[in-house]
Amino acid sequence: MTKITRKLVGAVFAGALAASAAQAETIRIALAETPSDEMAAFFVALDRARANGLDYEWTAFSDEELAIQAVLSGQMDVGFGTPYSAMQRSRAPLRIIFQLSKLVFFPVATKEYQTLADLDGQPILLHSRGGGTDSIANVIEDREGITLGKRSYVPGSSNRVVAMLAGQAQATILDLANKNKIIEEAGDKFTALPMFEVNASDEALFANLEWMQNNEEAVDIFVSALASVWRDMAEDPTIISRETDPDGPIGELPAEVLAGLDKFYTEAVEGGLYDPKGGGRVAAQADLEWYAAAGQIEGDPATMKLEDYWYFAPLDKAVE
Amino acid sequence: MDRYQSHRSLLLKLLSAVLVFGTWEIAGRIPVSYAFPTFLESMAALVRMTFDGTIFVAYAETLKPLLIGIVISAIVGIGMGLWIGLNLKSEWLFSPIFVVMQAAPLAALIPILVMIYGIGLTSKVFVVCIMAMPVIVLNTSGAVRNTPASLTQMATSFLAKDRDILLKVIIPAASPIIFSGLRLGVSAGFIGAILSELKITPTGVGDIITYSRSIADYESMYAAIFSIILLAVLFLNLLEKLESYLFEGNDRGYVSD
Repeated sequence: MTKITRKLVGAVFAGALAASAAQAETIRIALAETPSDEMAAFFVALDRARANGLDYEWTAFSDEELAIQAVLSGQMDVGFGTPYSAMQRSRAPLRIIFQLSKLVFFPVATKEYQTLADLDGQPILLHSRGGGTDSIANVIEDREGITLGKRSYVPGSSNRVVAMLAGQAQATILDLANKNKIIEEAGDKFTALPMFEVNASDEALFANLEWMQNNEEAVDIFVSALASVWRDMAEDPTIISRETDPDGPIGELPAEVLAGLDKFYTEAVEGGLYDPKGGGRVAAQADLEWYAAAGQIEGDPATMKLEDYWYFAPLDKAVE
Repeated sequence: MDRYQSHRSLLLKLLSAVLVFGTWEIAGRIPVSYAFPTFLESMAALVRMTFDGTIFVAYAETLKPLLIGIVISAIVGIGMGLWIGLNLKSEWLFSPIFVVMQAAPLAALIPILVMIYGIGLTSKVFVVCIMAMPVIVLNTSGAVRNTPASLTQMATSFLAKDRDILLKVIIPAASPIIFSGLRLGVSAGFIGAILSELKITPTGVGDIITYSRSIADYESMYAAIFSIILLAVLFLNLLEKLESYLFEGNDRGYVSD
């Protein structure tokens, strides 16, 4: 090896070491989508955590599965999503630490349908096979004793609203914001069918167990910031718009989105989208039952150990 | 090409396959990621999907936009390419469109396609065509334009009709490059078909990929990806056979060395 190559190799190694040392101090968060109004509360929590000394960086992935894979492969520390099947199948030591939102979705159909039972045999528009709305459809079939007709998949609630308005479908399952939108725009044609309550998680925060145990302090700061925001938000949803950093990723969203924050969070809190306690054991139990019924995990939820899927220590400390 | 050489080339092909799959197996065993299965696990998943019929149902769906798109791209593409190659004015008119099509970031254009053509088969066929057609057109027109002038002049001096010059001189002379354009176009079409199934609505093989990813069945996901690559390679080989059947002379000089 010549002197120059030796120096070059040395420099590369030193650079790599410095980079990994820097990474050990900064939490890398894998978001499952680009920052939007729905994530404002999460960013408020991040700001509170930063004030308490947490150093973080975030990367937005285009979907939840990519975020899960990034955490699985160790390129990211904390991820967004509900990786129950990944936890069960891939032997990866992932654990959920906080429930960000519940699977609050609304079956919306044309006015000919009045109850879920009326959807027996009818075609329905869902997000994706194996996704959240697909699992809701499975559980609806199960509870109502019906069989839905052909399932077509259109990713994105807003796209399904467009399809419904264009008359391409009679029934779908939408999130809260889009349910309100379609009822507002075409309440004379569509109706939200009465739906049973669901406590299972739609979005949760998860990380590698070993990593969390090695970075206990950072994880504690993070989870307690989340718990405090979720608690405050339950009492006064408008704190989200007030605490949003105008220079942050949410503050830079278009003015009309920001103007809608109070409405969104007020409706979401009323709709029971957020658990002020961050989920915990109740959510873990509900998740196992839900995802087992939905076919995402195998086995009897009664015999599963919650600790195989959740790491409760940080949340327990945060809600004490 | 003698027998010894054909054995050697087969041996080299096998060796490179063993190398690639061996590396895959080792990477899966380390594992490089919890989301990365070994080669053998993926092959087991492929066998399972083959026997329970999943893969055939999926391909029945995926092949629709793929074949329609490739047939349209090949016929229209070669036709347009010939026209552009023979006629300078049409080159000015059309070739910029295909250069833009080739350079456009297709994934970013998909929302526009969906807006115009909806979420059905039409959009998917369009994605395949946008991927496949530009290379076919540009290669064909370039090949036609670069037909050795001495050949066409000779044909003219033998009083050949325009039709004969085109069919008996220009196309055979251009055929190697037309076929290489076709091969590139077909492989781009495969990319387009899968892209459309991942980005527009998950059907067929795209559905196996997204669904098995969402339930963390990574073996099936990689098996599906492997199967589409395998199919693309088989298809390209078929195309090569077709080329040597149609234009026997093309073999001369390239393959034997």
